[in-house]
Amino acid sequence: MNNSLTLLGLLGREPSYGYDLKHSYDRYFGIEKALAFGQVYATLARMVRDELIRAVGEETGGGPDRKKYEITATGQDKVRSWLFTPDTPSETLQSDLFAKTVIALLLEDDADRLLDLQRAEHMARMRELTRAKKDAQLLQVLMCDHGLFHIEADLRWIDLTTARLTQLKKELQHA
Amino acid sequence: MNSVLLKLTITGSRSAYGRLAGIAAGVAVGVCMLLLLWGGANGLNARDDRGAWLRETGTPSATYPTPPSAAADPDIDPDTDPAATSEAPTPIPLTTDAVLMRSNPVEVFRDQLINRRDFAALDTTTVSIPGVGAPPAPGEYYASPALQQLIDSTPRDELGDRYGTFAGTIDDSALPGPDSLVIVTGAPEAEIRNSGLNFLVTGFTTDPYGGNAATYTTVLSIGAIAVFFPVLLLISIVTGLGAAERRERFSTLRLIGASPRVVARIAAAETAIPSLIGAVAGVVLAVLLRPVAAQLPVNGTRMFISDLTTGWVAGLIVVTVVVAAAAVTAAYRTSRAGIGPLGVTQSAPETLPRTRRLLPLLGGLAALVLAALLSRTANDLSAQLQTPLLLGGFAFTLVGIIAAGPWLTLLVSRIGARRAHSAAAVIALTRIQRTPAATFRSVSGLVIAVFVVSVFAGASSVIETRPTPTATPGLPQPTSVTSTISTGTTTTDTTSMKDRLEQLPGIRHATIGYGAAAFTEIGAEREIYLRAEDAPSLGFTSIPTTDVVTLDMSFLDTWTTTPVPLLPTPTTTFDRFVPVVIMVDTDGTPGAVDRARTALNTSGITGTPGTTPTDLELQSSARLVQGLAVLAYLGMVIAVVIAGVSLAVGTASAILDRKKVLGLMRLMGMPTSTLRRIILQEAAVPLLTVLTLSIGLGFLVAWLMITGIDDSYTLTWPGTDYFIALVISLTLALAAVVATFGLIQRNTTPTTTRFA
Amino acid sequence: MNTTNTPILSARDLRHSFGPTDALRGIDLDVQAGEVLAVMGPSGSGKSTLLHCLAGVLTPDSGTVTYSPANQAPRDVGGLNEQERSRLRLTDFGFVFQFGQLLPELNALDNVSIPLLLAGIKRPEALRRSTVLLERLDLGSMSGKLPGELSGGQAQRVAVARALVTAPTVLFADEPTGSLDSLASENVLTLMLELVREAGTTVVMVTHDPRSAAYADREVIVRDGAISAGYRIPA
Ligand SMILES: Nc1ncnc2c1ncn2[C@@H]1O[C@H](COP(=O)(O)OP(=O)(O)O)[C@@H](O)[C@H]1O
Ligand SMILES: [Mg+2]
Repeated sequence: MNNSLTLLGLLGREPSYGYDLKHSYDRYFGIEKALAFGQVYATLARMVRDELIRAVGEETGGGPDRKKYEITATGQDKVRSWLFTPDTPSETLQSDLFAKTVIALLLEDDADRLLDLQRAEHMARMRELTRAKKDAQLLQVLMCDHGLFHIEADLRWIDLTTARLTQLKKELQHA
Repeated sequence: MNSVLLKLTITGSRSAYGRLAGIAAGVAVGVCMLLLLWGGANGLNARDDRGAWLRETGTPSATYPTPPSAAADPDIDPDTDPAATSEAPTPIPLTTDAVLMRSNPVEVFRDQLINRRDFAALDTTTVSIPGVGAPPAPGEYYASPALQQLIDSTPRDELGDRYGTFAGTIDDSALPGPDSLVIVTGAPEAEIRNSGLNFLVTGFTTDPYGGNAATYTTVLSIGAIAVFFPVLLLISIVTGLGAAERRERFSTLRLIGASPRVVARIAAAETAIPSLIGAVAGVVLAVLLRPVAAQLPVNGTRMFISDLTTGWVAGLIVVTVVVAAAAVTAAYRTSRAGIGPLGVTQSAPETLPRTRRLLPLLGGLAALVLAALLSRTANDLSAQLQTPLLLGGFAFTLVGIIAAGPWLTLLVSRIGARRAHSAAAVIALTRIQRTPAATFRSVSGLVIAVFVVSVFAGASSVIETRPTPTATPGLPQPTSVTSTISTGTTTTDTTSMKDRLEQLPGIRHATIGYGAAAFTEIGAEREIYLRAEDAPSLGFTSIPTTDVVTLDMSFLDTWTTTPVPLLPTPTTTFDRFVPVVIMVDTDGTPGAVDRARTALNTSGITGTPGTTPTDLELQSSARLVQGLAVLAYLGMVIAVVIAGVSLAVGTASAILDRKKVLGLMRLMGMPTSTLRRIILQEAAVPLLTVLTLSIGLGFLVAWLMITGIDDSYTLTWPGTDYFIALVISLTLALAAVVATFGLIQRNTTPTTTRFA
Repeated sequence: MNTTNTPILSARDLRHSFGPTDALRGIDLDVQAGEVLAVMGPSGSGKSTLLHCLAGVLTPDSGTVTYSPANQAPRDVGGLNEQERSRLRLTDFGFVFQFGQLLPELNALDNVSIPLLLAGIKRPEALRRSTVLLERLDLGSMSGKLPGELSGGQAQRVAVARALVTAPTVLFADEPTGSLDSLASENVLTLMLELVREAGTTVVMVTHDPRSAAYADREVIVRDGAISAGYRIPA
C-alpha cells in the first residue's frame, strides 16, 4: 500500500493539518498499524518538495503540525493517475487496491471504474496464465493454477466490493 | 403426518393450483357420470319392474278337448294356434277373480308401438289392473299421459277412434317411462272372445324379464362395464396430472428429510383432497344434471327423474371409493417412482413392458370363445357358466387391451424409431420407446372407446341387416294395411266396410280376400281367393285371366321374401267362402295409414289389427338388442367424449411435464410446427397401433358374445353409424391433440422457462 | 482475433424489462467475428437476458441487435419475425446451457443429431457427423448412453457437440460450466474452445466464473442491466 499517495488522496478531499491527516489515515487504514507522526511529516515534506501539495494559511512559520496543507493541481493529477492505473496482480496488491477504493469513494470519484480497470488487469493476467497452461507440462500447469486461484481470490474480493460500493460509500461519508 | 410438510406440498406454485384444479374437475366429471350411470342402471331396473305387468300372458280362455296330451301339458304355449286342434273349444266363463284380456301384438301409430290391452270383466270383478284399478267399462279407456297427449293432438279418425272415450290416465307406477305408450280399454266380452287372441288373467306378473332375464342382465352388465371403464380411466388419468413436476418437489422433500413413507402419504393426501372436493362437486353436479339426463331417450322412452335418483348411500359409496382409490393409487405410484433425495432414479424411467402383458387379453378372449362354444351344447352346466364367462371374458378383454397397449406401443415404436428420419419422429418415437406405458395411458381411453363402439356396432349389426321393404310384385305393398276378418263375419259386413274405407282420404282401394273359413277357425285353408280386378291394387303385375284368382296365405306373412304368385282358379263366385282378410291400399302418407288402421280396428269385424309390412321392425324378436343398441350408442358417446377429454389431458400433461426441454428445443430454433408434429405423433403412434387391434377385437368379441348369447344370431358388416362413430372418435382425438397446441405455444416460449 | 472493423454482432442501446424489472437498461456491445467474449457480472444483472436478446430469443423492448456474418447483408435480429428468428437460431447459432438441456429419452448420439435433422439432413449422414464430433469431444464410447447415465461433464460435452454440430457462426453459452467442478469445467472449455477456434466460430459465453472467463479473448461486465464502467465502448 502506497502511504504517500494515500495521504495525498486524503488531502484531495479538503485542506487539512498534518495532525488531522494522520488521524484520518488511522481511521480508514490504520486498523492494524497506525501511522507514526514522523512518517507523516516526512512524507508531507517530500510532497511539498515535489509540488504535489503546498502549505496554506497564516501560521506558515510554525511546526509541521501547525501547518495546513492543500493539494495542488499536479497533486490531483497524481492521485487520479494512481487511482486509475491498475496494479499488476500480486500478493501485496489488495491493501493498495483497498486504499484506492476508499480514496476514490472519499473523493467521490468513480470507484466502479477503478475496480473494473483492476478487474480487467486481473483478467488479462488470468488469460495469460490460462494460455500458458495450454500444452504445458503438469508442473507448469500447477504453477499457473496456483497463480490463477490467487488472482481469482482477488477478483472475488473485487466483485464483492463492487457489489457493496454504495453501502461502503454511505458508511465512509458518515464516519 | 407432518402438517407443515403437507401444507408445503398443497399450497404451492400457481401451476400446483392448476393441477389440483385439474384433478378436482376431472374427478367431478367422473363421479357425476358414475352417479348418473348408476342412476340410469337403477332406473332401467325400476322401469322394467314397473313394466313387468305388460308381460302377463294369462291362461287360455277356452279348453281344447283333443289331443288330450297337449291340453294337459302345463307348459302349453298360449300362442299355439287353436286351429291345430280338431274339435271346437269350450270357452271358460268369466269369474270375479278372472278377466278376459286381449293383448294386441301390433298396435301401431306412425312408427310407434302402442302397448294395448283390452279387457272384459264382470261388474263384480276383483281383478285390479296396475295403474288403473278396476277394468274400464266397454267403450272406455285409460291411457298413459304420453299416449293421451298423442290422441289429443291427432285427428280422431287416425288414432282416437280406436279406443272410445277417455276414462283416466294410467298411473306412473305402471309405466316404464314418461314416454311409454300404454292403453287399457274395456270391450264387450263377445268381441274379445271372437278375436281369437284372448286369455284369462287373474293377476299380473312382476317378473320383468321372463325367459330373457339372463340375456338381458348380461347385455346390461356388459354395457355398464363398457361405460364405467372409460370413466375410471379418466379419473386415473387426471389424478396423475403433473406427475413429473410433483416428483421434483417430492425429491426436495426427501432431501430435507422426509422418509419415503411420509412422501407417499403426502402424495396420497395431496391427491385425496382435490379428489374429495371434486367428488363432492360431482355429486352436486349429478343432482343438478339429473333432469337433463332424464331427457335422454333410452330404449324408446325417457326416464322419470326419480328413476335416476341413487340415494345418499350410493353417493357416499362412490365418493368414498373414488377418493380412496385416487389416494391409494397416488401413494403407490409415488412409492413406485423411486424418488430419492436427488430426484427420480434417472437411468430407468419406466420398466419396459413384457410380453406377459398379453396374458389378460388372451385369457379374456379364451373365456369368450369358451362361452361361444358352450352355447352350442345346451345343458344346465353350460347355461350356468355362460353368463360369468361372458362377463368375465369381456372385462378381462377390456383390461387386457389396456395391459397389452404399452407392449404393442413399444413394439411399434421400436420398429419406427429405427426408421425415423425427421427430428420430430426421432424425438417422438424415442420418447414412446422409453415411456410406452405413460404414452399409451393418454390414448387408452380412446382405444377402449373404439373397442366398445366396435363391440356394440358388431352386436347391433344383428338387427341392422333387415332390408327395408320395397314395393315388389308378389309381396304386400309397403303402403298397404292388412287385417284378418274374425269369425262370423258376412260378406255384407265386409262390403260395407270396404265402401266405408274407400271413402276415407288417402285410401285408394280395399280388397277382400275369401277363404274356406276364418283363419282362427278349424276349417281354415291356405288359399285366399280374390277378384282378379283387385289384383293390381295389391301390386301384382302378372295376373291370370280368370275372374277369380288365388294366392297362398304366406303372402300375408311379413317374413315372406320370395314373391307369391297369383294362380288361376275356375271358381267364379265366393258363395262357398267367407271373407278372411281385408287388404287396404293407401297413398302411403302416415295419416292415411293410421286412418286405415283406425277404421279396421274399430270395425268390430277384424281379427288381427291392421298391419303394414314395416311393422315387423317394431316388434321383431331382436327388439331387445335394438333397444339396448340405443343404450350402447349412448355409452359410446360418453366413452368417446371422455376418451377425448382424457387424451387432451394426457397430451397436455405430456407437454407440461416436458415444458423445459421443449422450450429449450424451441430456443435452439426448432420450429413450433416440429413440436406440434412431435406431440401429434406421440398420440398417433399408440393410438393407431392399438386402434386396429381394438376394432378387430371389438368385432371378434361382438361375434363371440352374440353367438355366446344365442347361436342363431349372425353378424354382418356394421352400419354407417359405426363408421360415423369411428370418424367422430378420430376427429375428436385429433381435436383433443390440436387443442393442446395452444399450450405448446404458450408453455414452450423460450423466455417463459429460464435455463440458467 | 479477427481484425475486421464491422463486428459480427452489434448491440445498440438495448433495453428490456420483465414487468417492473428492468433487466437491460441501454446496452452497447460489439462482438467481433471469431472472438470469444465472456460476459460476466453478478447474478440477476441481466447477462442471460443480454444473451437472449443477442441470439434473437428475446426481442428487446428497444434498441437494435445487428448480425453481420461474412458475405451476408447485416440483419436486425430484433426486427425478424418469430419464424425467421427460429430459422436463424437453427442455422447460424448454437446454444449451450448450464444443465438439463438434453432430451432425456434420447441417447447422446441422437441428441447431437437432432439439429442436423431439423436442418433437413438425412439421418445416416446426421449420425455420421455427430459421431465424428462426439469423438472429437472424447465421447466416442458414450454415444449410446442416455443423458441420465452421463456425468455432468460428459453431458455438458454432449451439449457442446450438439451446439457445434451444425457448424454455427456464433455459439452462445450461458454458464456452460456453472454446475461443474474445476477439472470438468476445464475439460469442457478446453475441448470446446479448441473446436471453436479451429472453425473460427464466434463465442458469447455468459459466466460468473473468472477462470472460465479466462478462456475468452475478452470480457465485459454487466451490472444492473448495463455494461460496467470500465468495459464500455469508448464513445
Ligand atoms: N422470464 C423472466 N421473468 C421475469 N423476470 C425475469 C425473467 N428473466 C429474467 N428476469 C429478471 O431480470 C433480471 C435479469 O435476469 P437474468 O438476465 O437472468 O440475470 P443473470 O443471467 O445475469 O443472472 C433479474 O432481475 C431477473 O429476475
Ligand atoms: Mg443467467
